[in-house]
Amino acid sequence: MEFSELIKTAKVENVLLSGPGVPAVKGTLCITSHHLLLSSQPGGDGEQGTVELWLLIRNVDAVEKRFASSSGTITLKCKDLRVLQLEIPGMEECLNIASSIEALSSVESVMMMYPFFYRPHSMKLEQGWHLYLPHHYYQQVVAETSAWRLSSVNRDFATCPTYPSAIIVPAVVDDEALRKIAHFRQGGRFPVLSYYHKKNQTAGTGEGLDQPSCPSISAPQVMLRSGQPLMGPNKKRCQEDELLLKAALCGRARGFVIDTRSAQAAKQARMTGGGSEPKAAYLGWKRLHRPLESRGRPLQESFMKLVEACNDPSLGMDRWLSKLESSKWLSHVKAALSTACLAAQCMEREEACILVHGAEGTDTTLLVTALAQVILDPDCRTLVGFQHLLEREWIQAGHPFHLRCAHSAYSHARLKQEAPVFLLFLDCVGQLGRQFPFSLEFSERLLLALFENSYASAYGTFLCNSEKERSLCKVKETTHSLWSWLNQPNQQKEYLNPLYSYNALVIWPSVEPQSLQLWQGLFLQWIRSSQYLDEAWAEIQRLVEGSETPTRTNGAAHSQLLLPH
Amino acid sequence: MLSRQASQKIPSMASSSTPKYNSNSLESSSVKRTPKDGTNWEQNEEIPRLPGETRITDKEVIYMCPFNGPIKGRVYITNYRLYLRSVEKESIVILDVPLGVISRIEKMGGASSRGENSYGLDITCKDMRNLRFALKQEGHSRRDIFEVLTKYAFPQSHNLPFFAFVNEEKFSENGWMVYNPMSEYRRQVLSWIHPENQAVIMRCSQPLVGMGGKRNKDDEKYLDIIREANGQISKLTIYDARPNVNAVANKATGGGYESEDAYPNAELFFLDIHNIHVMRESLKKLKDIVYPNVEESHWLSSLESTHWLEHIKLVLTGAIQVADKVSSGKSSVLVHCSDGWDRTAQLTSLAMLMLDSYYRTVVGFEVLVQKEWISFGHKFASRIGHGDKNHADADRSPIFLQFIDCVWQMSKQFPTAFEFNEQFLITILDHLYSCRFGTFLYSCESARDREKVAEKTLSLWSLINSEKAKYINPFYTKELNRALYPVASMRHLELWVNYYIRWNPRIRQQQPNPVEQRYMELLALRDDYVRRLEELQITNNTKISSSSTSSASPSQMVSHVQTHL
Repeated sequence: MEFSELIKTAKVENVLLSGPGVPAVKGTLCITSHHLLLSSQPGGDGEQGTVELWLLIRNVDAVEKRFASSSGTITLKCKDLRVLQLEIPGMEECLNIASSIEALSSVESVMMMYPFFYRPHSMKLEQGWHLYLPHHYYQQVVAETSAWRLSSVNRDFATCPTYPSAIIVPAVVDDEALRKIAHFRQGGRFPVLSYYHKKNQTAGTGEGLDQPSCPSISAPQVMLRSGQPLMGPNKKRCQEDELLLKAALCGRARGFVIDTRSAQAAKQARMTGGGSEPKAAYLGWKRLHRPLESRGRPLQESFMKLVEACNDPSLGMDRWLSKLESSKWLSHVKAALSTACLAAQCMEREEACILVHGAEGTDTTLLVTALAQVILDPDCRTLVGFQHLLEREWIQAGHPFHLRCAHSAYSHARLKQEAPVFLLFLDCVGQLGRQFPFSLEFSERLLLALFENSYASAYGTFLCNSEKERSLCKVKETTHSLWSWLNQPNQQKEYLNPLYSYNALVIWPSVEPQSLQLWQGLFLQWIRSSQYLDEAWAEIQRLVEGSETPTRTNGAAHSQLLLPH
Repeated sequence: MLSRQASQKIPSMASSSTPKYNSNSLESSSVKRTPKDGTNWEQNEEIPRLPGETRITDKEVIYMCPFNGPIKGRVYITNYRLYLRSVEKESIVILDVPLGVISRIEKMGGASSRGENSYGLDITCKDMRNLRFALKQEGHSRRDIFEVLTKYAFPQSHNLPFFAFVNEEKFSENGWMVYNPMSEYRRQVLSWIHPENQAVIMRCSQPLVGMGGKRNKDDEKYLDIIREANGQISKLTIYDARPNVNAVANKATGGGYESEDAYPNAELFFLDIHNIHVMRESLKKLKDIVYPNVEESHWLSSLESTHWLEHIKLVLTGAIQVADKVSSGKSSVLVHCSDGWDRTAQLTSLAMLMLDSYYRTVVGFEVLVQKEWISFGHKFASRIGHGDKNHADADRSPIFLQFIDCVWQMSKQFPTAFEFNEQFLITILDHLYSCRFGTFLYSCESARDREKVAEKTLSLWSLINSEKAKYINPFYTKELNRALYPVASMRHLELWVNYYIRWNPRIRQQQPNPVEQRYMELLALRDDYVRRLEELQITNNTKISSSSTSSASPSQMVSHVQTHL
């Protein structure tokens, strides 16, 4: 396929662009294989030759056309939730532009996407791709215990197509057993180590103080994740699987399986070959069901309803709150956060091991395991640590970004497998940031950038559905990593929270409905100007930076104060 | 002028044309901190007691905590507060309630009531909570405590003085000196004058038009003179805070609004703000959904059905219109509702807060409250019902609370524009009810003069200004003359959870919250920063020209230097 075949009209003069918060501007519209550009022309409102719009066509979620006599208006609804209007003189041009955008924005082939063509001068290919590799995390684990090993059973992605090539498993379980277990778990996703909770790091947190931790227990808490066991109607069992989970307990009396489906849904899943761990077969493991919406319609529809309500100018003031409620978005936020809290609580307070899964183990499972780590582990709350977490628990863990983020909230296309699970995660992290304004090293801007890049990006980080696909497409060799861009010093500064101060404690959020707020910075981003908030932010940044040098010692003393003795 | 209802006090003349800016606003950290809240702890009993506070009685009770269940404890009653300490020493529960917040005391159950803890007292508070104590069901055990409570919670109904008159606290600052109307050059009915275009905001009550369409030549002429005073060609703008229909209905009771025939040079707009009864009912509904338990399943639609945020929105929208008319329309504005001391006070004081940065400082805000609310005769005594047992009085209404809520909404939208923090606003509201200070007692200046409030009681501003550091927003950036218009759309208004739901432990993050500590630390940082800037400035100045040593105040330097950073 050639892009030129899809571009019916490449250039139109006298196009009027209007969008939220900026004055309308007239200029020349150009369509390239990946971008839509508008540069103002003489007689226009802007300075001549200024590029007023530089839009990645992949960012376009829906194209709407309207005609009036000799001109037409195209409304571009973008995946980042922005809405733009182009008034184009000439009916034919308008139609051509619209169909070109439609065709270019729906190119299916991953290899045709912009990251494979993007070659900025300031960056080198392959930078940032090695920032995080599975054995880095393993090194942290092995420093603490020898109960776990790094297995390369999935070297060629044959055992589990959605796992990375190296995974951490109990040391006593050999590769042969892992292959057997892979047959017993959906998608071959056998239980692997997701998080290793170093208790000493957070010793004596909050209420933990009044329950002196038993010194005899030295084994740390671990969190595993997997796909559902393929028990089927005949309640099939797998000895190796049972042994693996027994080994994960490390002699501990108790473990919890957190199933992100309802008890009934888990039972019903047996009819289609799935199921959930029976108590009798897994001694010491207790099942907890916390239904979370992820796969399929409900979450995507909730997202669409919410965005519709946010964008509805006619909405009377007295109906806004009930519309917000009926979108159910905040209920999803609440459910995700409470389940993550449950997982964190089981580890921190009950000192138990955790296994999290739903059906496939690629959506809500990751939502819960990743969020629980942000709550528990101060390392995940740093800028770099958070990137590691995203790599480990979302990208390499096989969240199908390509499928889930194919369309955003505006698309008229028939829904396939779209679901804003990752967005829900970012929203939950934002809620944590709001409740603990000093405990996250990164700011809301990072979350916004991640949202935008997960739906349309110049970088390869969120491309494809798994490491296997990324390796087939040579993503790491031929595209740039988002991380290497984010981590450039001048960029990094943009994404830092100036108020951050290291907090070793577990951050238990309040999940009451009145404690959770709509993410205005995202959902109302294009509706009102955030000028004052941006100014305030800059001011705070200036204030903190200005006073940094002489008070360093002060800050250090403060963080020590936070550590309970 | 007598044709205005409930004739506002005849204005007095004053001097000094611009508000005095407090150049000391940044030097607050030098204020010595008095022991917690100015209270002393008795050695043996550890019951806090203010100078002048005397103990009346104590009794063993069971506190029916809505969040943690029954708690055994001892309740101490003084002439100022109700203080409960739990018997259990491990996790001590303490209740410390100024008697002034009590709105109603009821006996629950009878001597023959069955069921555990069904006999006792039920106390309704003005600050969004209820307290319930169970007592032993024998020998009229609750009789004396009921009588003591009733007597001291409602001193006005028992010929007793307010606690403010026996309070013997000492403060380093005298809050009564904050506002001196005699030193301001303006007629008192004139609320604010625009420094550049001389447009003014004025306030009054509704004209007594009545059904017969009465007119008053003097009033008509007076309004015309005001219009001409600033060389205005356009019409005078009159904002009537009421909904149009109410204004018409008020004609039946002798009130009304300015007709076009009688006032040809004036333009009249209605702002649709409802009356005190509607507001009282709205707050009552809000309390129903937040205390003791938060309505979880339909939180947002329940919140919507209270209409509380909708009323906030209308008040803010009205104030924006007033402010905008004065500052950009360059027209003088007259504001009134029915009486001129409720909605009018809200509108004028909020408009002034939007237009004049002086009022966004701690002292400026105190002046604003003192001037627009206390001096102008907002009927605090009847709206709050200080010391009065008649809890069902139809004159009670949360008008001032609503104003403070609007201020909080603004401070959320402009995080660096206000010198004071949330604690400042909450403290004001707490002492609106507490009767510890004379500031909010009585309904008008003549009553205050009669009772010698300024001589015999302390001012709330004495407490606040003596420990100012507690109330300072560390992110405050002084900027002059920028009008701030908040977004008064439902999408951008939030429920003030930290005030309305503060009694509920579940809204708090579940860990010792380091936020306040960090704020104090940032304040210290800022003061240090300012000091260093000052030093730099001085060395610089001496370098440049030794003759012109800087006499600028530190705050001026901040704004000066910060623009260069």
